Amino acid sequence: MTTFGRRRFLGLSGGALAAALGAAGCARTSEQEAAPAAGGDALRWWDHFQPLRPLNERIFAEYGKANPGVRVEHEVYNPNEMGQALQLAFKSNQIADVHTIAGLGSSEASLVAGGWFAPLAGQEAIRAKLPADTLLEGLHVFDGKLHAFPLFTARQYATLSWFNRELVEKAGGDPDNGPATWDEFRSIAARITKDGGGHAYGWIQGLQFHERLQSHVIELAMSAGAPLAMTPGADEKGLVDPRTGDYAYASDPFVQTLEFLLSLVRDKVVFPASTSLDARTARARWATGVAGMFFDGSWNIGVVNGQFKQFLGKVGVGPVPSPGGKPVLYGAPAPGQLFVSSQSRHVEAASELLARFTGPQFHRALSTYMDQVPLDLEAVSTADVHPTYKRAVELFGQAVRLAPSPVVRNPAVAQVLTEMKEPRPTLGEITQGILSGELTDIRKALREHTGKLAAERERATRAIAEKGVKVSLDDWTFPNWRPGKDYTAEMYRTS
Amino acid sequence: MSSVTRKAPSLAVRIWSERWAYVFLLPTLLLFGAYTVWPIISSLYYSMLDWKGLGAERPFVGLANYREAFGDPLFWKSLGVTLTIIAVTVPLRVGLSLLTALVLNNPRLPLARVFRTALFVPAVTTTAIIGVVMGFIFDPAGGPVNQLLLDLGIVDQPVDFLGDPGTSLWTVMGVHMWKWFGITLVYWLAALQTIPTTVYEAARTDGAGGWAALRHVTLPLLRPFLIIIVLLTAIETMQIFDLVLTMTNGGPFFSTLATEVYIYQQAFAGSTPRLGYGAALGVLFGLVTLVFAALQAVGIRYADRVRSRS
Repeated sequence: MTTFGRRRFLGLSGGALAAALGAAGCARTSEQEAAPAAGGDALRWWDHFQPLRPLNERIFAEYGKANPGVRVEHEVYNPNEMGQALQLAFKSNQIADVHTIAGLGSSEASLVAGGWFAPLAGQEAIRAKLPADTLLEGLHVFDGKLHAFPLFTARQYATLSWFNRELVEKAGGDPDNGPATWDEFRSIAARITKDGGGHAYGWIQGLQFHERLQSHVIELAMSAGAPLAMTPGADEKGLVDPRTGDYAYASDPFVQTLEFLLSLVRDKVVFPASTSLDARTARARWATGVAGMFFDGSWNIGVVNGQFKQFLGKVGVGPVPSPGGKPVLYGAPAPGQLFVSSQSRHVEAASELLARFTGPQFHRALSTYMDQVPLDLEAVSTADVHPTYKRAVELFGQAVRLAPSPVVRNPAVAQVLTEMKEPRPTLGEITQGILSGELTDIRKALREHTGKLAAERERATRAIAEKGVKVSLDDWTFPNWRPGKDYTAEMYRTS
Repeated sequence: MSSVTRKAPSLAVRIWSERWAYVFLLPTLLLFGAYTVWPIISSLYYSMLDWKGLGAERPFVGLANYREAFGDPLFWKSLGVTLTIIAVTVPLRVGLSLLTALVLNNPRLPLARVFRTALFVPAVTTTAIIGVVMGFIFDPAGGPVNQLLLDLGIVDQPVDFLGDPGTSLWTVMGVHMWKWFGITLVYWLAALQTIPTTVYEAARTDGAGGWAALRHVTLPLLRPFLIIIVLLTAIETMQIFDLVLTMTNGGPFFSTLATEVYIYQQAFAGSTPRLGYGAALGVLFGLVTLVFAALQAVGIRYADRVRSRS
C-alpha cells in the first residue's frame, strides 16, 4: 500500500499546483492568440448596456451583412469598471472605435477638448433622422460638428406610481390610473394598510439607499412646483432654480415633499422592512402583494415581466402623485451615449454603423426591451410592449418638459461640478434622517444643506476661475425660462 | 605566543555564507512588501492628493486632506461608532467567552466538542452572507425574531431592528458578537490548556473545592492572557466593515457608520468618490489601530513578565 508522508504530500501538491498554474497560463495565452487582432476589418465597440446586448448585436449582424468582410467586436463593460478601462486604453492607443463614456467622470466638452473623439462622418444624414431640438451645442455638437446624439429620451422620470390594481381597487382607488394627488395617495395607502391587517401595506420603497430616495424627493418636489435647471448626469449639485441660479432645496416644494413622505411614515402605511430594502428587493417584495404602491421608473414593468411574470396582470401605473394632480416635471437634456474615437482608423464605417441607431425602426426595437425609454416617444405607441410601458411613456410625454442646462450654456460648469465636494448629509441622507425621526426640523435641515451646497459651489467656481477658465455663477441663471415650457436650443442663444 | 588578529568578514561574505536563510526569507519579504509595506506607503502618498481614483489629474495638496478630516463631523461620528462597538462588545465577548470556556473545559461535560464546534462555526462563515441572512432574520415583516417576539406577546408591533437608528447599532453589535464569539472562546480554551493539571491536583490535595480552585488557581493564572485576548478582540472588532455594509450600509442616518464603512464611502462609493481623502481617513484610522497594537505589545511583555514570575 502506498503511503504519503508529509514531505511527499507537500512535494506532490506543489508539483500539481505548478502544473495547474502552467496549464492556466498556457490556456490564457492561447486564448489571447486566438483572439482576432484589433484593427483590420474589425470595428471595436465598447458599451455598458447589458440589457440591450441582443439588440446591439442584431444591428451589428445586419451591418455585417450589408458590408461583407466587416465585423464588429462587441464588449459590454460593467459601468463601474468602464472608466478605468477607457483611461488605460486611451493612453495606450488601444481604445475601441466606438465607445460610451461611463465612469470617466468628465463632461463631453472636456473630453472633446482633450482630443478623445472624432466628429461623425455623414453628419447631415444623421441629423436628418433626429427629432428637432435634439442636438445642443456643447453637449452633442462642438464647433458646429456633430460628435454624438442621444439614444434615450430626456422626457422621463423615476417616480411613476406603480400599483397593485387589486389592492388599489379594493381600497376605493382608480385601478386604471392610480392615485393622482398626495391626499389620494395617503388615503388609499391607509385603506390598503387597514384592510391588509398586517399582511399588506400601502406603500413600499427601498429607503436604505439614499441615492434613489433622493431622486424620488427631487421628482416629487418638481410635481409640487419646484422649477429646476439641470445638468445631465449630475446629482443634486447640478440642480438649481433656473430663475435665480440658486439651489432650491429649502423652498416650499421640497419641504412639502418631505412632510408628505413623513406623513406616510406617521400614518404607519409604509411596509415595515422598507428601511432595509433597496429598489430591487423592494420591487421583489411588492410583486408578492405585500404592498399596494411603489415608486419606480418605466423599466419596472420590464423587470416584472422578466422576473415576476405571475404578477404582471395585477400591475397598474399612474403619474407621479402631486399636490394638485397635474404634475409638471423637468428633464435634463439627453446627452449622447456613443462616440467615435479620435484614434479610430474607421471613422466613416463607425459613423455609418452609429447611424443605424437612429430612426423609428431602431426606437421601436429599443422599446421592446422595456428598459431605457427611446428618444422617439412616438415609436413606443406602435411597439409590441406591455400596456403599462406604453402608458408610462405617454405620461412622460404629457408631464416632462426640457430643463435648461448650465453646462450647455457654458461647458466649463462641468469643471465646477467636478471640483465640488459633496456636502454631507446629502439630500437623500437628510430624507432618511427625517423619516427615521433623527432630524425633526425639516426646514432647518434643508436650509443648512442648501447653504453648504451654495458655499461649496462658490468655492469650486473660484478655484476653476483662478485657473483662467471663464466661468461664473451667472452661468446657472436662465431669465428667459418659462414654467411649464420646454427650454429649446433657440432659447440658449437668446438668453 | 603570537596573537593572531582576524578581520571580521565583510557583509557580502556574511550574506553569502547565510544565503539559504535569505533565499527562504525572500518569499516572505516579497509578499510582506507587496501586500503590507507598499499599500502603506502608497496610502500615505495618495492621502496627499486631491484624487478621485480615476483620471490623470491628481494634484498634490499636502496635508489638506488631513486638515479636512479633523474638521469632518462624520469622521468623528464614525470613530465614535467604532469605539462604541469596541467598548460594548469587547468586554461582553471576552467575559462571556471566558465563562463558556470554563464550562467547556470541564472534561466531564458531555458533548463538549459538539458545543465547541457549534460555537465556532459562525466564525468560519462568510461575513457578507451572515449580513444578508441577518437582514431576513430581523425583518420586521415576518422575520423569525419579530414573529417570536409577537407570538410571546413581548411586543405588539414588529421592531424595525435594522431600520430604526435606536436599535440598529445594538443589533449589529449583537450579530458581530455572535459571529466572532468562537474565536475568543478558542483563545480562552488555549489559555486554559497552559495551566498544568498538577497545580489543580496540588490544590485539591490542599482541600480546595471547585470554586476555590477557580478563584485561586485558574483566574490568577489566566490574568496574563486577559490583556492579550482583550487587545486581540479589540483589534478584530475594528474590522467590522463587511458586516455593517451588508446589514445596514452604515445607516439609518449614520447610526451604524463604522469608520471603515465611511472610508469606503469616501474613497469608492457615492457620486463623487475621493480616493485621496479616503486614504487620509484610512491613515488616521490606521494610527488608531496602531495605538491598540502598541498596547498589545506592551500587554504581551507584561504577560510574559507575570508568567515568568509565577
